[in-house]
This record gives sequence, C-alpha cells and structure tokens, in this order.
Amino acid sequence: MTLRTVSEEATHAYQLPRLIRLTPNLYAASFVLMKMIPARYILRRAMADGLLEPETVIVETTSGTFGLALAMQGVHLDRRVVLVSDPVIDERLYRRLIDLGAEVDRVPAEAGRIAGGFQTARLNRLREIQAAYPSTFCPEQYTNPDNPRSYAVVAELLLESLGQVDCVVGPVGSGGSMCGTVGNLRSVLPDCQAIGVDTHGSVLFGHADAKRELRGLGMSVLPANLDHSIFDGVHWCAPSPAYQATRQLHRRHALFSGPSGGAAYLAARWYAAANPNALTVVMLPDEGYRYQDTVYDDAWLRAAGHLDNALPDEPVEVDDPRRPQGSWTSYRWGRRSAAEVLGSDQLLSGVG
Amino acid sequence: MSVQTLLISPPSAQRDTVGQHGAANQYSAADQHSTVGRPGTAGSEVVGIGFAPAHHGELLQGMFLDEAGVPHRALVTLPQPALGTRATFRPSYTHGGVLGPPELIKVRRAAILTLGQLPSYRSPAKGGQIEITSTVPRGIGMGSSTSDVTATIRAVADSHGHPLTKEEVARLAVLAECASDSVMIDDQVVLFAQREAAVLETFGQQLPPILVLGCDTAPEEKVDTLRLTPAPYDSSEIARFGVLRAALRRAVAKSDVPLLGRVATASARINQRYLPKPQLELLLQLGEQHGGCGIQVAHSGTVAGLIFDAQGEHVAERIERCAEALNRAGLPVTQVIDPSGRGGLPPARASA
Repeated sequence: MTLRTVSEEATHAYQLPRLIRLTPNLYAASFVLMKMIPARYILRRAMADGLLEPETVIVETTSGTFGLALAMQGVHLDRRVVLVSDPVIDERLYRRLIDLGAEVDRVPAEAGRIAGGFQTARLNRLREIQAAYPSTFCPEQYTNPDNPRSYAVVAELLLESLGQVDCVVGPVGSGGSMCGTVGNLRSVLPDCQAIGVDTHGSVLFGHADAKRELRGLGMSVLPANLDHSIFDGVHWCAPSPAYQATRQLHRRHALFSGPSGGAAYLAARWYAAANPNALTVVMLPDEGYRYQDTVYDDAWLRAAGHLDNALPDEPVEVDDPRRPQGSWTSYRWGRRSAAEVLGSDQLLSGVG
Repeated sequence: MSVQTLLISPPSAQRDTVGQHGAANQYSAADQHSTVGRPGTAGSEVVGIGFAPAHHGELLQGMFLDEAGVPHRALVTLPQPALGTRATFRPSYTHGGVLGPPELIKVRRAAILTLGQLPSYRSPAKGGQIEITSTVPRGIGMGSSTSDVTATIRAVADSHGHPLTKEEVARLAVLAECASDSVMIDDQVVLFAQREAAVLETFGQQLPPILVLGCDTAPEEKVDTLRLTPAPYDSSEIARFGVLRAALRRAVAKSDVPLLGRVATASARINQRYLPKPQLELLLQLGEQHGGCGIQVAHSGTVAGLIFDAQGEHVAERIERCAEALNRAGLPVTQVIDPSGRGGLPPARASA
C-alpha cells in the first residue's frame, strides 16, 4: 500500500500530466505546463552538478511556457532568471514572469526582418547577455539532450497507467516532448507510433519558413533536439482547424487546452478513429487561459475568418512534405532522418 | 551437486591461528561432540541448517533514481527455487583455524560476520565448520555465491536459535560478498539495491505466471563476478531504467506476462553494452518464433532465458520445440524455470 504524498515544490506538482480517457481508444495527457518537465529537470541537475552558484544568472531565449517554467523553478532555487523574448510576448505571460521575479528582455520588432526571424535575433541577444554577466547558465532547450531525456517521466506514467500505448500524437517545437516521450516508451514498446503535429510555415518537417499565427508548435530554425527518425507520421495544421478543434475538445470533453493541444487533438482523433484497436495518446501541453480572448472568443474567431470553413473530416495526405496543400495535411514520414526525406540541401542549420 | 566443507572462526581466533598451527588441526573429531537438535541452549552445540534458492539471472538490472534523484544500482531477480544450497553449520567453542577451498571465501566471511552479529548469550561459539551442499551451477550467473552465502547465514543463525529477518540476512550477504541478488527475499518481488542491501521498491507478492526456458549462451566461459566492474550507465540509460521500473510495476500488479517480457528484453538490450550476449538477437528470434514473450539474461553471467506465458496455449509443446531449436543452434538448454516454485513443466530434454 503506497500512501499518496505531497509535493515539496509547486514545480513538482505542476509537471506530470493527468491522463484522461476521451474515447474508448483515445487518451489525453493533459498538462498544466508541460515545459515544467525539462525546465525542472535541467535546473535541478545543474544545481546538483554545482553549475548554479548563488550569483549565477539563468538565461534563456523563450517567448513561451519554457520561460514561465524556468521562472517558477528560479523561485524555488532562489536564482535570477533573464529571458530573451520576441516583442510579441503575451501580455499575461509577461506579467506573470515579472511577478515571479524574472527579467524579460524583448528583442526589437525590426529584428523580425532579419534571416531566421526573431528566433535568430533572440539567440544573438542571448549571447550578448551571457557575455555581460560573470556567471550564467543557459538551459538550451533546443540543443540540450536533457530536454528529451527529462520526458522519461511521461513514458513512465503512460506505461504504469496504460501498459500498452500504440500511438502518441503531439505538437512539435523543440522536439523534446515527442522525441523524449516516444523514444523512452519504445524501449519497452518498440512498435509505438509517433505522429508529430506541426504548422504551416514551420521548417521542422520541410516547409519554408514563413510567418506563423498558431503558437506553441513549429519553429523558424531547426532544433538539434528534434530527432526526425522518431516520427512515423507528420501532420500540418493551420490556425483555423487548430482553433476549431481546440473548442471541440473543450465542448465535448471539458478539456481546456491551448491551441497546440487542439491541433494535436485533431490529428489524434482522426488516427484513433481510423485505428480503433490502437490505444492512442494525445499530448496537450498547456491550458487555455492565455487564449480566452482569442481562441475561446467566438467573435474574435469569426472576425479573423477562422470559422469560415468547417473542420475537414480527414487530412489531405501529401507526397511532398515541403509543399503545403490545404489547411490540414499529413505525410508518411516513416521514421526517416530529415536528410533522407528532404535531401541534405533542404536542411537549414541547427540552432545553437 | 557439489559438497564442500570448510572451517571457520571469528576474526580474533583467525588472527591467532592462521598460518601458525595449521588450520586443519583446529577441529579434532573429539571437538565435534555435537548434540544435534533444537532449540539450542547456551553451551551445547547445535548444528544449524539453512537453505537458499538459486536464481536464473535477472528480469531487470540497472541504475535507478530515488526521490531525491540519487542513483542506486539495483536489480529484480528471477528466482529458480528448484535449485539451491543447503548449508550445515557445526559450531565450535575452542579456537578455530580457517580451512577450505579458496572459492568459498565469501561463505567463510558470511559465517564470521553472522557469528559477530548474533547475541553472544545465545551461544558461545567461536567458530565452526560449514558444509555446503549445492545444486547451483557455478560461474554462469545463477547466484551460486549468493545462495551459498544466504544458506550459510541462515545456518549459523539457526544454530543459535536466532532467526534473522530477510533484511538482516540481505545486509549480511552484501557485507560478505559486496553485491548480492535478492534470493533471501523469497516472498516478494522487489527492486533490490544489490550493493546496499536495500529494497528500493516492493512490486508485489509474486511474478506473473511465467515459465522460462533457460540456456547457456557461452558454455565454455565462466564469469568471475568478483572481477566484474559495475556498468557505467549513462543518463539516458538511467532514464530508461526508470521507464522499465514503471512498466514492471504494472506488469506485476496486473499479472501482465507480455509486459514483463518486454521489460526483461529491454533490460537485456541496454546491458548488451556491458556484458554482451552475442546470441541475443538469435534468442529473441527463436523466442518470437515459438510464441515467447521476451528474454531475460544474467547480467553477471552467461545464462539467458526465453520467457513464456505459463498459462498460454500449448505452452509445454512450444517450449519443447523451442528447446530443440536452441539446442540445434548450439545454445545448450539447461532447464525450465518456474519462479513460482509450483513445479511448472518437467525439465526439457537437455543436451548439456
């Protein structure tokens, strides 16, 4: 008999997802803040390895929830946190970061016009900050192998709770969550399928870099932590179907997720229906609070044209991952490397 | 079956006599005026008897993090209760020398440690004679050493009429031989830290119903466990061991044989880096062909086993056919292990 225990830190309580059954063969791994897993793992390890002296400043480039997770762990560790962000950082997130004692350094708006966009501008600014302080520690979520490694705890939870998992569907950004979760699951379940969900204008799986509206997935630069050979399939989801699916997830299952989770839900629902004997898990990385004035506001959705077209029943399967053909497409990636699928000339240089 | 006898004494007596008077002279026939029987009263010589089973390698072995993130080497033993060691301890009350085949040095150490541990009012024994009768093959990873040591500790305690707890036996066994399997914990499935004598987790009362077809992967070789250096597992492997531990937790709780087989197979694969079994892929292939659920190996020995669901259809025939295939492939079949000790199948026709 094991007694349920208390968490010593808020970040511990935040990290693990709740597993919720949506349909007989579709389960949601619903996170409050998925990035808590790598943030906590990397910082605690750095602490144990003596890399965080009392005066060491934790620096990272992030416009999203990884920064929030770092700022929260920074509170527990009593360390200064400096985050380099886009000029367009969400105002609620910004206020929360400041309240946690983090400093947010926004790159100027004109930085978006250089090659590589804000992500490159942020990396340049990060290096300037690192040079300015005597001691800094950068978690480097895009290149640090501890990022994918940290997701072993999700694989543990899935195996302990479900035993068999036939497919994991989730949004892809740094590559950490999908590569780490599925990579670790496959040590026990080698046949487990992985479907990555990307968005139009993201370079992760071959699109040309372009302005992206959908947040929480996709990248302008290829991160080293993305191991393409993990993925059996890739879906690209445009903002409108992602937003509509996010709302359906809320209405049908009372799950209040952000839109990257909505995009993943769209792909996972399709996969689970097409494969009724496959136990499918969808990763929902965060909650919907930051999107209440947009994705969760019908007037906003309508004004932006996101309700003009009904949700497609299934993706358009493409035979060339480089070419967007519709608002929801899929491609059989087949656990190949990016070079195998796209040719080495197509690959952009990695981050970091 | 082997029978070996040696004489032991506690450390003080050992210092006095070794190499001075000749150990063999220390126990005359007249000295052994034993009154064999129970219970022992102080002053009378009581022969103690102890048993311990063998094992057939491990279902899981690796490095596991505790709640504080501290790594521990630990294993889950696959018991082989059909084989084992019987130790007989004849106490002596005079000074004793040390005598015996050098390979039983761990047994002598275990007896001396146990004598030092037991309350002296129980018995004034200073030393004694240990006789080991064992059916456990030596040097192939079946725990002959731990079986000898555990039986010895129990025999010494028995002669004192002072039963030891499983935890005490484990602690003495690890003191005697640096690393022990968990054969002394015979009524639970545990994750056992083999160098700390600590139970990290109790998975349950019994393993799922399995039969294991055992073979020797290198019949010409013997592994000297005293010479093995601990495997330098890396962070990714430690993360995977956590995943395997979670999967095993479910496999035992749900009596899930296929999941147990996957865990054992994954553990064997990870440990290929450290004590490789050249025929691992062949074993996996043969197991799959005959409806097996996976393989397990001795992580410090040459034996390996193919795991079958004991309640599977035609399991006896499938094991027999698989045994024939193993023998044809040059992997001598040694035995069929029923870890529940209920008998299982009659031993397969062994060619060894």
